[in-house]
Amino acid sequence: MEDLKLKLKQQIIESLNLQGMEPKDIDDNAPLFGEGLGLDSIDSLELMVLLERNYGIKIEDAREGRKVLSSVQSMAEYIQQNKKV
Amino acid sequence: MMNPVYILSACAISPQHSFEVENFLNLVISADDGKLFVAEPDYRRFINPVAIRRMSRQLKMGIACGMRALQLANVSMPDSIITGTGLGSMTDMEHFLKDMITLQEEALNPTFFIQSTYNSVNGWLALQTKSTGYNQTYVHRGFSIELSLLDAQMFLNEAQTSKVALVGCFDELTADYFVVKSKCEYWKESVPNSLNLLSHNHTNGTIAGEGAAFFALTNEPKQLSCALLGLKLLNLPSSKDFLQEIQGFLSKHGVELKDIDVAIVGKNGDARFEYLYDPTLAAFEVETHVLAFKHLTGEYPTASGFALWLAVQLQHWNQIPKQLILKSGTRPKRNILVINHYVLHTASLMLLQQQ
Amino acid sequence: MADRIVVTALGILSALGQGLPDHAQALSNNIQGLDHPKFLKTIHAPEFIMGEVKKSNDDLAAALQLPTGDNGYTRTTLLALTAMQQLLKQIDAPLLQDETFAFINANTVGGMCSVEDMYFDFISQKKEGYFVKYIDTLDCAESTENVVRYFGLKPHVATISTACSSSANALILGARMIKHGLVERAICGGCDAMSRFTVNGFLSLKNVDKFPCKPFDQNRNGLNLGEGAGYLLLEKESDAKARGATILAYFSGYANSNDAYHPTAPSPDGEGAFRTMKQALDSAHLHANEISYINAHGTATTNNDAAEGKAIQRLFGNSVPFSSTKPFTGHTLAAAGSIEAVFSILAMQQQIVFPNLNFETQMDELEISPVACLQTNIPIHHVISNSFGFGGNNVSLIFSKE
Repeated sequence: MEDLKLKLKQQIIESLNLQGMEPKDIDDNAPLFGEGLGLDSIDSLELMVLLERNYGIKIEDAREGRKVLSSVQSMAEYIQQNKKV
Repeated sequence: MMNPVYILSACAISPQHSFEVENFLNLVISADDGKLFVAEPDYRRFINPVAIRRMSRQLKMGIACGMRALQLANVSMPDSIITGTGLGSMTDMEHFLKDMITLQEEALNPTFFIQSTYNSVNGWLALQTKSTGYNQTYVHRGFSIELSLLDAQMFLNEAQTSKVALVGCFDELTADYFVVKSKCEYWKESVPNSLNLLSHNHTNGTIAGEGAAFFALTNEPKQLSCALLGLKLLNLPSSKDFLQEIQGFLSKHGVELKDIDVAIVGKNGDARFEYLYDPTLAAFEVETHVLAFKHLTGEYPTASGFALWLAVQLQHWNQIPKQLILKSGTRPKRNILVINHYVLHTASLMLLQQQ
Repeated sequence: MADRIVVTALGILSALGQGLPDHAQALSNNIQGLDHPKFLKTIHAPEFIMGEVKKSNDDLAAALQLPTGDNGYTRTTLLALTAMQQLLKQIDAPLLQDETFAFINANTVGGMCSVEDMYFDFISQKKEGYFVKYIDTLDCAESTENVVRYFGLKPHVATISTACSSSANALILGARMIKHGLVERAICGGCDAMSRFTVNGFLSLKNVDKFPCKPFDQNRNGLNLGEGAGYLLLEKESDAKARGATILAYFSGYANSNDAYHPTAPSPDGEGAFRTMKQALDSAHLHANEISYINAHGTATTNNDAAEGKAIQRLFGNSVPFSSTKPFTGHTLAAAGSIEAVFSILAMQQQIVFPNLNFETQMDELEISPVACLQTNIPIHHVISNSFGFGGNNVSLIFSKE
C-alpha cells in the first residue's frame, strides 16, 4: 500500500505537471481539490485518465469520481480494490 | 469610411530578441535548418501560476504577449479582446490526435483537447484581465491578424467613448507541421542560412517560422502613437493589378505612392511571389525606406503581426537596424505601408501613420 | 432611423434533413434526428447516439456534381457546399457578382474529419498518395475557401472559430460589416462535420450522454454531438426591398460578451449568460417581456443548463417560453448558432414554439421549466437565440418578425 501511494504521488505530479513538488509534499489524506493541492475540475478529469491508463480503472459516474479522487489515500484504496492491469 | 485607430503599445515574441529588450534588434538570431523558433521569455510573470503547468507553448506565448502589450499600454482591463491565428495550438492538436489514433479512442487527456480550441488564448486573456467585453477569434490563414485588426477598427468606431481593444496573433511551428507542409512546396529544399533568405529568391519555397504579436488599440487620437489608417485584404492578384490595388487603397486614404516613407514587405525568398513585390518596389521613390523581415521570423500565417510591431518600433528608435534594410532611404518615418502575402493565395496591405 | 438588417435567404442541413421544409416537418412533429452514427467510424458508435447528417460523403458529393471517393473535399466542406447551394438558389445569380459582399464562415476543427484518417501519412516521409489531396484541409478556413472556389464567388472572406458560438459570431460580424458600409450583403453561418477528434474530445470531458440528451432536466447527463451547416443572407432592409426580396426576418439585436470565469465551464450563477442576453435586448431596444420565445443553448450538460437556466429566470422570470432544440439535432458546434438562427425564424413563420424533447423532471436550482410539448398558434414577434462556447464566449442573437 505504501509503495502504491508513493508511485501514485509520482504519477500525479507528473501527469498534472506539479512543478517543484515531490511525493513527500503530498499528504496521504489531504484533500487534492479545493484547499489541499488546489486542483480543479480539469485536473480531476486528468486523474481519471491516469487511473484508466495505468491501472485499467474506468470511472463513469462523476459522483463516484469525486469520492475516489478526494485524496491519495482514497485513490490508492480504490486502485487496490479495482485494479485490472 | 471608418476613423483611424491608434496603437498604444506593441509587443512581439519572435525568433529575435523582441520581447522586453532594451534595444532594437541589435543582435540578430539566424538558423541554418530552415526553421526559426521563438526566443521564449520567462512566461511565469504573465500567467496564473496554477494554470501555467498545464499550458502548451503556444498558449503561453499568446497569453504572455497579450498581457505584456496591456502592461506597456498601462491598461489592466481591455474593453475587447480580438485575436487571429492561422493554425491554432498545433502542439495540443497533434498530441490529442496522435493519442486518439494510437490509444484507439480510449483514455485521452482532456487538456490537449481543450487547449486545441482556437479561442483558448482569448478565453485565458479574458479570464486573467476580467474582461467581459467583446471577444473574437479569426482563423483565416494569411488574413487572420488582418481580420482581427479590421474588427477592432469597427469595434472602436462603434464606441461612443474612449475604449481599448487588445488585438493580437500567434502561430506555432512544430516538427509535424513542417513535415506536412514540406509536401506542398512551402519550404525551400536547398536551405540557405536564414539571414541570406531574401537573396535565395530563384527557387520555390521559404523557411518556416512562428511568433506572437499583440497590440493595444484605442479610438482616441494619441500623440506619439502610430495610427492604423486602414487595411486591405486581397486575393493574390497579378503583378499589374497588385500595383493598382495598392494605389487605389492609398488614394482612398488620401495618400499616394510617393508619400510612402517606409515600406515593410513580406518578401520571403520564394521565387513564386517575387513578381508581386518587384514592380511595387520599383514604383516607390528613391528616398523611401524599404524593409523586409521574414528572414528574421520565417513564414507563418500571421507574420504580418511582426511587421506591424516593427512599424510601431520605428517611432521609438532613431536607427533602423541594418538587418531589416532592403533599400535604405532618407525620408522621415511617417507614412508606413506594410505589404504582405501568404502562400495560400492572399495578400494584405496596412497603412500606418506616425502621429 | 438607421436601416435595419434583414434575413432574405437561408440554407440549412442537419440530422433533421436538408432545407426549411424538412426541418419544419421534423420540429413540429417531434421527430428527432439522433441515432448511432453510420458514417463516422468511431469505436463509440454502438454506445452513443449522435446527430449525423443522413447522407454519405459520396451522396453529398454526387448531389454537388463532384467526383465521389477521395476527391479532396472533406465532409466539413461538403456540408457547407450543400447548405450554401440551397441559399444561392434563392437569389438571382447576378446579385453577388457586381457588388462587395462578404462570406463569413465559422468552424471548429476544419477538415479534421478527413485528416484524422490519414494523419500518420501526413507526417510520414511519404510524398505521394491520396492523402496529398487533403494536405491543406486541416485548418478552419478550408471550407470557406472551398465554398468560394466551388461557386466562383469573389467575396470578402472571414472564418471565425470561437467553439460553440462560432456561427452566431459570424452573423454578428456580417451585420456589423454591412452597417459600416464595408460590404453590401453578407452570407454568414457555420459548418461542422463530426469527427472522431471532436467526439473523443467531448468524451474526455465526460459530458456526453449515451442516450437522448435532456436539456434543463434535473437528470440531464450531458450532450449529444451533431453536425450540419447553416447560412443566412443578410442585407439592409432598403436594399432587400429595392430588389423585391422577401424579408424572412429582421436581425434586430445581438451581443457578444465573455464570462471571464473558466476555460470550459460557465460562471455557475449564469452571470455571463445574463449579461449577454441583456446586452442583446438593449441593442434591439426591447424589454425582456417583449420576447416571445427563447431558443436556448441548452446543451444538457450539468453546468450549461444550470447557468443558462438561472440567467433566463433572472431576466425573463417565468413569462417567456424557452426550449433547447439540441435533442432534435445534437450539438452541431460551430454550426449551432446559424442553424438555431434558422429555427428562430421558423418559429416566427410558423407561429410555433418547439418542444424541449425528453424533459421530465424539474431542475432543483430553477423555478422555471422548458416547454415540454409543441405549442402552436403562438404569436411570435421576437426570438432570442443563445450560443455559449468554451473560453467563456457567449453570444445572443435576436430575430424579429417586423
